[in-house]
Amino acid sequence: MSAPLRRVQQAPRHLLVCEKGHARHPRSRHAAHVRDHAYNCRVSILIPECGILPEVLKSTVADFGVYYLVKNLSVHELVAHEFIDSFVKKGSCYALTYNTKIDQDNTAALLPTGKLILSVDKDTYEELGLQGRPSRYSGKKAMRYIITIDLTDSDFHPDGKKHKRVLWALKEKKPLEFDFLMAWYNTGAEGSTLMSYFPKNQIRALKPKITFSTLRDLQCPALQSNELEGKPEESCSTEELFEWLGAVLNQVNLDNKSSSFISTYCCPQPNTTVDQAFLCTITGFIIPDKIIQLLEQLCSYFSEPKLAHWLTLTVHGFADSPVSWRENEHGFHKGGENLYNFVVFRNLDYWLQMAVGTNDDCPP
Amino acid sequence: MEGEREGGGRGDGRRGSGPPEGRPPPDGPRCAVPPAGALYGGLPRQAAEELSLQPQGSGEAKAFVSAFLKRSMPKMKDEAIQDVLSRKAVILEHYAKKRKKQKRKKTKSFTAKQRREMRLFEIEPEQQRYAIFLPLHELWKQYIRDLCYGLKPDAQPQMVQAKLLKADLHGAIVTVTKSKCPSYVGITGIILQEFKHVFKIITKEDKLKVVPKLNNVFSLEIDGFISYIYGSKFQLRAICEPGFLAN
Repeated sequence: MSAPLRRVQQAPRHLLVCEKGHARHPRSRHAAHVRDHAYNCRVSILIPECGILPEVLKSTVADFGVYYLVKNLSVHELVAHEFIDSFVKKGSCYALTYNTKIDQDNTAALLPTGKLILSVDKDTYEELGLQGRPSRYSGKKAMRYIITIDLTDSDFHPDGKKHKRVLWALKEKKPLEFDFLMAWYNTGAEGSTLMSYFPKNQIRALKPKITFSTLRDLQCPALQSNELEGKPEESCSTEELFEWLGAVLNQVNLDNKSSSFISTYCCPQPNTTVDQAFLCTITGFIIPDKIIQLLEQLCSYFSEPKLAHWLTLTVHGFADSPVSWRENEHGFHKGGENLYNFVVFRNLDYWLQMAVGTNDDCPP
Repeated sequence: MEGEREGGGRGDGRRGSGPPEGRPPPDGPRCAVPPAGALYGGLPRQAAEELSLQPQGSGEAKAFVSAFLKRSMPKMKDEAIQDVLSRKAVILEHYAKKRKKQKRKKTKSFTAKQRREMRLFEIEPEQQRYAIFLPLHELWKQYIRDLCYGLKPDAQPQMVQAKLLKADLHGAIVTVTKSKCPSYVGITGIILQEFKHVFKIITKEDKLKVVPKLNNVFSLEIDGFISYIYGSKFQLRAICEPGFLAN
């Protein structure tokens, strides 16, 4: 077999980390993991043995917050002290460039911790004049550089040399302008919102798109919460569940009909067939705080006896985001996936699976 | 072996006169008596027979000697051995004195270390003020204008660029526009000294900055012409200018 063909048949390098825990355990880290993954573009909930949107989720889903699309925003405005004092220091501000490719163009991201991350190509880095480090996934000749600016640093006051240099570089030396997706979460404090900060023609408020669907006659694998590896004849392993979930969310036919040539995938054994399963998909610029709320509601779903043994919550990150978890670098090799999946059981045990692609650091 | 006298031996080159007066020839059996006073003489046959030696003929002797020398000194070539055997005459008196090679008198210059210690090219801190060097900049502008036959707005940029590449840059105001190391970007000032690999630039804040030429792009501005010059191109020019490179 020729080398190119062989490479096509091999799956690109990827990493799947599986963790087990209990949602009500004091040292459970489910909320921490969710909070570390800043930029999420899609959330999917799959509840077997359920036909309609459950009561507990109604309020959360109805008010999923709003995010903003700001066009032609120069990066130096994010570094202005007005912005930092109004939004970065109060609450958590999330910003990500829209429609930029992580492996081709310059990208900027503002983390809720107050760090501004610029992922730039070589020419821009040499012209910009801000100190950064070469990307870990750029090979021997660095073509990509990551510049990290801490906006909440005590040295970053308006008269400081650092601030002056950053402002000079971003304003006069090489102005960078992008379309940003922004969201701001503050714990109820008063103050101006993003809408009022930016001029009207630049900013647009958007709501996440929510869709519901009911799947009929779905084969679901049988799982046991304390058996991550799966017992043969009794339960399935986490990898099998992950693959099955991917097939279901992508609407792949699981019956393996002899007339169909698209997929020969079957639901892993042992499995049960459920009459109906509820699938809810939310697409948009979703912030982790909302996802934590959702997770709490899903845990309280099992407070009443239900037919389902488990349910799943899948969260996808942006393929073109410069960071995956915390400040781990994220790259796009053949697919920019960085996603995580919760499987919550009746007894509030959970499985957390975190998956990343080739040019990614290991998730925490 | 050079001083070896061509001795008697085998009857050639006899020196000395006949037998000394008053000395009768030695008694004994009559044989070929070599003339007395000769330094060497062949072994008389009688003596050889007494000692039961076999004197060799001259040809055999020669071959034996050559073979012996060759075996003793295997590394020496045959010609060298023959050279050694052939006896050369050395004139003992009136020979020409060997002329001693005239030691080349080195020009009085210092080593790099001494030059650095003398600090010829250092500018004192009191003199490190931007305002002092502005007239130098004016001079430089005039020099460039003369070089380019007056910088008219319709002058060809390529010509100006070519002249700038070869021109002397002391007194020019340059800015570092692109650099492999981002901290050099943005340095603007008047070039005070040009060395082989670096520029010494004084900025408006009266700071003397040393900026390497390699991996940097400089921008020069003169009368509305902005030209970007890559640092590596600076090194290749003007090497032939006398007294230019002080490194």
